[in-house]
This record gives sequence, C-alpha cells and structure tokens, in this order.
Amino acid sequence: MAEQGSLDFAVRYPFSPSAKDAITDIAVNERIIILARNRIMKSLMNDSSGRMLIHEADKKEDIASFAVARMILGILRNNYLTNTFAVNESKMMHHFLNREDEATALEVSTIFGIVPKPKAGAKPVEDILELDLPSYLRCCPRSPAYRLINRRLVHGMVEIKSDEWKRLVEEAARKHIERIPIVKDPPEELKEAGKKILETLPKTDNSKLEAIKVEDHPPCVAKLLDNLAKHENLPHQARWFLAAYFLSLNTSEADIVKIFSGAPDYSEKVTSYQVAHIKKKGYSVPSCATVLGYGLCVADCRIGSPLAWHRLGRQRKEEIRK
Amino acid sequence: MNEQERQLITKIFSEYYAEAELDIPGIEHREFGIGNYKKIDARHLSFGSVSDFRRYLTTNTPFFVSHSTSYYDFPGATPIQKKQWKGADVVFDLDIHAEGKYGAYALLDRVKADLVRLVDDFLIGDFGVDEKDLIIDFSGNRGYHVHIRDKRFLPIGAEERRELVDYIMGHGLDYSKFFSDSYSADSRKARLVGPRPEEGGYRGRFARGVIKLLETDPKSISRLFSDPGKREFFISGVKEGNWSKTSLKFDDLVSRLKIVADGLAVQSVDTDAGVTQDLSKLIRVPNTIHGETGLIAKVIDGRGAIEKFEPLRDALIETKTIANETMMILFTEDVPALVLGGENMGPFKKDERREFRLPISMFYVLKGSASIVIR
Repeated sequence: MAEQGSLDFAVRYPFSPSAKDAITDIAVNERIIILARNRIMKSLMNDSSGRMLIHEADKKEDIASFAVARMILGILRNNYLTNTFAVNESKMMHHFLNREDEATALEVSTIFGIVPKPKAGAKPVEDILELDLPSYLRCCPRSPAYRLINRRLVHGMVEIKSDEWKRLVEEAARKHIERIPIVKDPPEELKEAGKKILETLPKTDNSKLEAIKVEDHPPCVAKLLDNLAKHENLPHQARWFLAAYFLSLNTSEADIVKIFSGAPDYSEKVTSYQVAHIKKKGYSVPSCATVLGYGLCVADCRIGSPLAWHRLGRQRKEEIRK
Repeated sequence: MNEQERQLITKIFSEYYAEAELDIPGIEHREFGIGNYKKIDARHLSFGSVSDFRRYLTTNTPFFVSHSTSYYDFPGATPIQKKQWKGADVVFDLDIHAEGKYGAYALLDRVKADLVRLVDDFLIGDFGVDEKDLIIDFSGNRGYHVHIRDKRFLPIGAEERRELVDYIMGHGLDYSKFFSDSYSADSRKARLVGPRPEEGGYRGRFARGVIKLLETDPKSISRLFSDPGKREFFISGVKEGNWSKTSLKFDDLVSRLKIVADGLAVQSVDTDAGVTQDLSKLIRVPNTIHGETGLIAKVIDGRGAIEKFEPLRDALIETKTIANETMMILFTEDVPALVLGGENMGPFKKDERREFRLPISMFYVLKGSASIVIR
C-alpha cells in the first residue's frame, strides 16, 4: 500500500499531482532520459511489470522518467508509440491499484474524477457501487459488458462492482496518458532519444494495405480498419468480428494477422494463434444485430449481415456511406 | 416560390424576429449556420450577444437558422480544429418519416408520445437529468428536439453520446438476461427470478409493461392469462420478482414476453443524421422559424406543457401586426385534409383559390403547394 502524498504513491501513480510535486527539485539528466526511453521500449514489449526501487533518488528518477517519456512522445507524435505507452502504463497502474486499500484506490480514482459510492441499501457483501452517468460514460471500456444498455441505470447512477471500478480507472488513466503534451523547442537530447526509439520500430508493412482495401468493406468494418490504422486500441469483440469477417471472405490467415499489426498491444504470436483458433472453430460472421449489440454499428445499411454488403450495388453503397 | 412571394414572407419573418424570445445560453461560444434555399447555405458564423443575433435576423432574415450543439473558444474560426471545442449540449432529434408531403403531420401525436417517454423514462428517470436543464422544442416540421444543458454532460465525446442513443433506442437490449433460475434450499423446484415493477431503468419498465399488458390485453401474451385467477396469481408473483407463478415453461414464458420488450425503447430518435453523436452538427435555434413550413421551432414551457402542446396550432407565427391579416392563395397541387391552426383544413384541389389567416396561407406556400394571389 502506498499512502497518498508519499514518494511510493508518486512512483506508482506518476500522473498524480503528488508525483509532480515530488520532482520539482530535480533536473532532467542523461540517466532520466535513458530511463524514459526504456520506459517506452518496455511498453513495446508489453511488459507491465513494476520496478523495485529502494533509494529516494531512484524513486524520483523513476517518476521523472514518466514525465520525460511523455515529452519524448510529444516530440515524436507517433500514434502507435503513444497508444502503446498509454495501454502499458495504465495496465501497470491497474496492477498497483489491485493491491491498494480502498481509501488509496479512491484517491487515485478521484484524480480522474471517478468517485463511486456504495449503493444505498446494498449489503457490503453484495459489492455494489454507484457511479454518476457522465463519469461512467467518460471512462467505460468499449466492450459489451460495459455497454450502458447492459447496466443497471437509475436516476443518473450506474451500478458497478469494485473490480469494474478499477477497470474504469485504468481506462481513464489510458485516456489521460494518451493526451500527450505539445513540446515546443524540445532539447536536443530528447529529440535524439526519440530518434533512437524510432530506429527500433519495424518498418511499416504496407503489404496489408494492398491485400485489403478499406473502401471494399461495410462501414462498420471500414471504421475498425481505420481505427487500427490510427493505432487505436480495439475491444475484444471488434477484433473477433474483424477476424471472422475476413476469414469468411477467404482472406489468408497471414493477411488477417497483418491487419492487426497496427494495434497498440499487437503481438504476432498471440494474433496468429487467435486467428487460427477462430478459423478452426469455424465461427460465422456475426449478424448486423449482433454487431449493433457490440456497439460497433456505425451506419444504417439495413442489410442483415455485414457480408451482404458485397451484394449491394455501387450506388446503394455510396448512399449508405453518406 | 417566386421572388415577390419570398420578399413578402421575409417581411413577416423579420417582424416575428423583432419580438421573438431568443434566449440562447452561451451564444458567444456557439457556431451559427444560416440558409435561404437550403437548410444551411453558410456556417461558421458567430454572434457576440442576443441583440447582435436579433439584429442579424431582422435585417438579413434567413429562412433557416441553426446553431452548434458544441461550445467553442473561437466559434467563427475555420477549419473546425481551430475553433477549440469546449463541450456540447446533448441533443436528441425525434422525427417521423411518412409517405407524401403531409403524411408526417397526422403522426405528430405518435412522436409526442415518444417525446414524453424519452423525457420521463430516460432523461429524467434513468439519466437523472433535472427538468430545469432540459429545453424541449418543436422542430418546426416533423418532430421535436430536446437539448440537455446539464454541465456534467458537456465534456462527453461522440462515442459516449452514441452510447446514450443506443441505450434509448434499445440497441443490444437482451431482456432474457433480466431473468435467472433460482433454487431454494428446501425445494428442488426452480424459481424464475426476474425484475420487479418498482425497479428503475429497463428492468422496472419491463415488469410494469408486462403487468399493464396482462391487465389490458392478456391474450397477447398467452390465452392462459384470460383466466382472471391465473392472471392475478401470476401478477402477484411478478410484483415480488417471482415470475414462476404460472404453468408456462420458463423459456416459453420469456419468449412470449418479447412483445413487451420490443415496446420499451424510443424508436423515433433520429440516428441516421447523427444529431446526438456528431459534435459538429448544427441544430435549429429554438424559437426560430422553419423555412419549409413557416412554423416556429417553439420552446415548450416545461415538461408539464408537452401534452397540451399542439404544434400545428401553437407554433404558428402570431405577431400583433399580422394577427388579423389574411392572404389569398391559389393551390398548385392537391392537398390532403389537415388540422391546422385548430381548424379542419381541406382537402383542397389544384387550382382552388382560398383565403386564410396569414400564417396558414404561408404554410401552404412554403410547402410548395400554393402560390400567393397578389391583389
């Protein structure tokens, strides 16, 4: 447990105001820049493990490395790196949050304006909290379980369980970290660190664009492909839907795996396994009603199944796209 | 409509705007759009105050005026990124599509019933919005607009707004998840546990809907319930959340209740146009005139006034100067019967000449069904 205001709290939650206060007396140096670079590289390897820090100086450097990493990302303005970093840092925060007592977790949650209350009249063992609707909407993950239609909502309060609460905080942290600062006149050392990170990135694979043309597909699929191109994180159902959809169009497994290479948490191994699994199970493409239920429908095609798109005439397709 | 007619109508609009109640919170942070020949000919306009806006309306007098649901630091800047978004009202557009030019007017009561459910069940009941933060107005043609001006909702983004629309329209609602089987310790018999009528949200509405339907049209669920004894026994269970007090099998019962679930959502929320989720959308300014009808997008005086509001009577332009004036028109096409201005009008035949009160004649001219007879 890390008490609010302590250095340990600031290490775990480097986006908190107390983290800002903790590093007012230290200047950016070479060591911090290396730590910042490592912090970004760590996210590229989906490594969300924490570091064991004992000395006060190490702790302060660690906190500063978060701020400097965001500055480097602010210089690079590379969506893939920023989103990958935000996903990894927020996952790391979630691990810490799970170990905190309720008061500390609430302190962290309050940073993002998420202040749930125990539901009036509910027994503690029932574990039912209530969160106001605007806060819930701001930070609910995009998955069916969190869709408003599937929640109990009364008088502007949404019921949540405590593990869901922490997932909401993770999502709020991710969104917060994604909003990187604009860095004017960046120091040379930071620009240099940014360049080194870019050198380690694999060259963009354009072959996926040749195999799959966004404009050939229904608006819901096109939107998801567009999200991936912008390196945005897609919910599980969206990935599953894309895989099932392209499998049924007889797209090769290798090409489907490439589609996902833009995802901030992309792992070729995991994606290949999952695509192969979906193929093996022979899942059919979800109907439009199911896609709507996932919250992924974006147009009023009235075609019943996303696959029926390919039977529409050109004129009708253009009308729908409008 | 020829230029002479246009000038005449513009003069009437201008007179209305000189006195119209134009209360637009945050006017200096909103983008405006105006149109004469279509709904929006020009946008990215901005006004520093209501008096500036009124001056513009009385001197330039466009046929359509809309403002952004969004608030910006620089509402007049282009492109949109330079406006610097500060937040947006949550707005719902309810309308109805029907055959023919006049088909929708006969169905406006249906939209009003949806409006009442939207406001009572969803906005106030489920979303917890205070009545004072709601502006409800007639759209000026085929439906209604509801603006939520609750500060807490201002910062939410487009995707979250889509969640609100999906919730209201019942997209993805699976009512079978309201039910679960429960086994008590002393009995091997399963019980079907479901929502109770006093619960909030969709669950409570569903339970209340089932009870209501059982009381009014029990056969639509099952012939079994035409027997008052069996029906009352089942209802007594539902009131306690026990849906097992019937001989119907659980699965069969749940699938028969689909008829109730299907009626819970509000279907007339217009999502095609993306009014709620599109943050760059412009919407008719409340209390301005719809140029296709000459009807005012009249603000309804609070939730309590919805039922009594009759759009085709209460949204006509009535100013002192035109109160007693009439206008002769010549119908250029057949027009079906309609209740307009509180009177039964028509049907009218092509080439028929008629003299009506000014706002009524203007309605037919703007609809493109008649021309003004200049005497």
